[in-house]
Amino acid sequence: MIFLYSKEVEKILLKVQKPGRYTGGEINSVIKDKDKVDLRFAFCFPDTYEIGMSHLGMKILYSQFNSYEHIWCERVFAPWTDMEELMRERNIPLYALESGDPLTEFDFIGFTLQYELSYTNVLNMLSLAGIPLLSKDRTELKNIVVAGGTCVSNPEPLADFIDIFFIGEGEEVDIEVMELYRKCRDKGCTKKEFLRLAAQIKGVYVPALYDVEYNEDGTICRFQPTEGAPARVEKRLIMDMDNVYYPDSFVVPLVEIVHDRAIEEIFRGCIRGCRFCQAGFLNRPVREKSKETILSQCKTLCENTGYDEISLSSLSSSDYSDIVGLLTCLSEWSDDEGVSLSLPSLRVDGFTDDIMSRIKTVRKSGLTFAPEAGTQRLRDAINKNVREDELLKTCHVAFSGGWTNVKLYFMIGLPTETYEDVEGIAKLGQAVVNEFYRCENRAKGRGVNVTVSASSFVPKPHTPFQWEAQNSIETIEKKQKHLKESITTKKITFNYHAAYTSFLEGVFARGDRKLCKVLSKAIERGFHFDGWNDCFDFEAWMDVFKECGIDPKFYASRKREFDEILPWDFLDYGVSKDFLKKECEKAYNSETTPNCREKCSGCGAACYKGGVCVEKR
Amino acid sequence: MLKNVRIWFTKEFECKYISHLDLNRCMLRAVRRAELPIWYTEGFNPHPFVTFPLPISLGISAKRECMDIRIVDDDFEISQIPELMNPLLPRGIQVFDATTPKTDAKFITFAEYEATISVDGMTATELRESVSALCELECVTIKKKSKKGMKDVDVLPYIKAMDFDKSDSENCRLSVILPAGNTKNVALPLVFKAIENHINKEINYDIVKLNMYTEGMEEFE
Repeated sequence: MIFLYSKEVEKILLKVQKPGRYTGGEINSVIKDKDKVDLRFAFCFPDTYEIGMSHLGMKILYSQFNSYEHIWCERVFAPWTDMEELMRERNIPLYALESGDPLTEFDFIGFTLQYELSYTNVLNMLSLAGIPLLSKDRTELKNIVVAGGTCVSNPEPLADFIDIFFIGEGEEVDIEVMELYRKCRDKGCTKKEFLRLAAQIKGVYVPALYDVEYNEDGTICRFQPTEGAPARVEKRLIMDMDNVYYPDSFVVPLVEIVHDRAIEEIFRGCIRGCRFCQAGFLNRPVREKSKETILSQCKTLCENTGYDEISLSSLSSSDYSDIVGLLTCLSEWSDDEGVSLSLPSLRVDGFTDDIMSRIKTVRKSGLTFAPEAGTQRLRDAINKNVREDELLKTCHVAFSGGWTNVKLYFMIGLPTETYEDVEGIAKLGQAVVNEFYRCENRAKGRGVNVTVSASSFVPKPHTPFQWEAQNSIETIEKKQKHLKESITTKKITFNYHAAYTSFLEGVFARGDRKLCKVLSKAIERGFHFDGWNDCFDFEAWMDVFKECGIDPKFYASRKREFDEILPWDFLDYGVSKDFLKKECEKAYNSETTPNCREKCSGCGAACYKGGVCVEKR
Repeated sequence: MLKNVRIWFTKEFECKYISHLDLNRCMLRAVRRAELPIWYTEGFNPHPFVTFPLPISLGISAKRECMDIRIVDDDFEISQIPELMNPLLPRGIQVFDATTPKTDAKFITFAEYEATISVDGMTATELRESVSALCELECVTIKKKSKKGMKDVDVLPYIKAMDFDKSDSENCRLSVILPAGNTKNVALPLVFKAIENHINKEINYDIVKLNMYTEGMEEFE
């Protein structure tokens, strides 16, 4: 038995909260002989262990990379502030959980970017490992810093730091780049030569190979590839979901994590096209796994992990083409095994008696629906395509089934929103409360609790709202206050997010390369965990912007013209800019767009020749 | 017939850093996966019945920990429990025996520990001497949170009980038997904390819980 973490780490483990996050040694974690592998990949999640370990993308790629004999992929998470403090005090470099080795010993250091406010954690983790932050300061062919995930849909705020961005799904492109690295290393290539060759692989963006020129007003005037790099970088995606790699086991954590259960992905993409939803546009077209694949993967996962709960994952589970058939065949197995099925991401119109009876085995925690907006007009403008009567009918079904807790998710600050729309949220909440008392089969002797959560809308790249101005902090706070005052019943619990964090999220979501120096300065100041209220200091952030001579409102609060060159325009996610423009104009007229199964609206994703685009309608 | 079974296991290496609650979850998962014919509670929310006679604190390794379950199948051979469960447990938690309980958990009175301690910048001999020096004092108190608020505990008797026979010039090793169980429980880290306060130095420690005993110093079985 070997201790994988160092003696120095051992000395501090009893001084920090939840030390089990920093030790490794979990069931199914992959240990290899480092002398027998020839490529080491540190998969870094820029947040705590509990959050990172719940992330499906990391589980998939961790297992897939390790399925290659010559690759050893290990996990790294951001240490919480108490641990970081002790590590810095004692000069303990950030280490990977499997081997306990510092990140400097890895060929690749890969980050998954899920949230803009984790950017400081990305850089802070490099800094904790003693790795130079700027790509140009890392001159050797080692410690190649790569990044993938949702947020690379606008990689520019991190352009100075990351060597390679993976655009789209990682299963194929990541491996191709690693193979190229091995070849280049064998031949004794320089890092520069390697990057130049990597840029030729589809789905790879090497920011150092592009020059950006700006107009006097700060907008982009030219985005120029150099050294033969492609002018447009196309996303990678997997078309055959039944044959793509899927893990047969997950690392089972020793300490409790956020989602401590097995997860089965049932499809990628979403047919809906809600205009605010970035995932819906980045992941087109919808590609499903077959029922048979799903069932067999569920069985294997539960067997190998010991989990007795499995969650079916997708952007909108009830849109699986044969959801009832799927649940029927899954529940035959899960009932036998005492496994409970959970089905997150249900649409209001997708919660039928049939589905309800299948997931009833799950402890009745509560149901969550996302009407997103309070009035029909605004729901049409954002193309949410859910009607109030459908929501009430669904709640009726749920209340009859014994549920008494319903959570409703909304957004404040959507384009075209008026105060009437904001009040509509309160009214809709009240209508759900009323529906409970109208329901004759409701749980007797118990009241109803409707939780209304309102987050603030952040316009995201590659969506029809990418040109919109984000509501100012003051406007959002006024709307929050108005909504709070519009709620008159105690049956409704109202939650909302701090407008400050959404503002900063908006800045980085649509930022450009000029923000790199802001991030550099933020790291010098010791910023980290900005997504956590206990660490986020808005005033300090504004000071940093001021010092850099950058106005954050330029990114968040400015309405862009349709013909402006946007920082992410060179990325091709398969959806045309023309389609996004048309969708934006339809939003202004509160016109809806049918979903992909009803009718093809010609977004451009049909170029991939698969998935829902070739389904018979 | 319900049959009580006591499962004996170790808790070492990285697994010493998991809390009682996490240990409980980890064990339940293994019991379930091993398909032991375990008895479920019959309440509103049935769950496998598992109790730990003396839960262990986070940060302490253990050579002989136990948990109690009930088996519903008369023909089930309990001796196969280790081989059924071990492949399903992390390397730090391994089952080495399963027996029929002989002693009720409430009779646990003492626990035996072994610990290696060190202080940065001090030799093992110096450390041992400064701990021994405390034995000349009238009392060594430390504040401890109890149900009735903070109270002073005198840990001097426990320092006096420490046996340093296994120490050498490299390592300061001690063994000690402390009150444990429901009525009186003394945590070794608390004793070290008291020593730290007196010598004004931070102690690094590695504690192993070896065994549990009844009031008459008979091994808990």
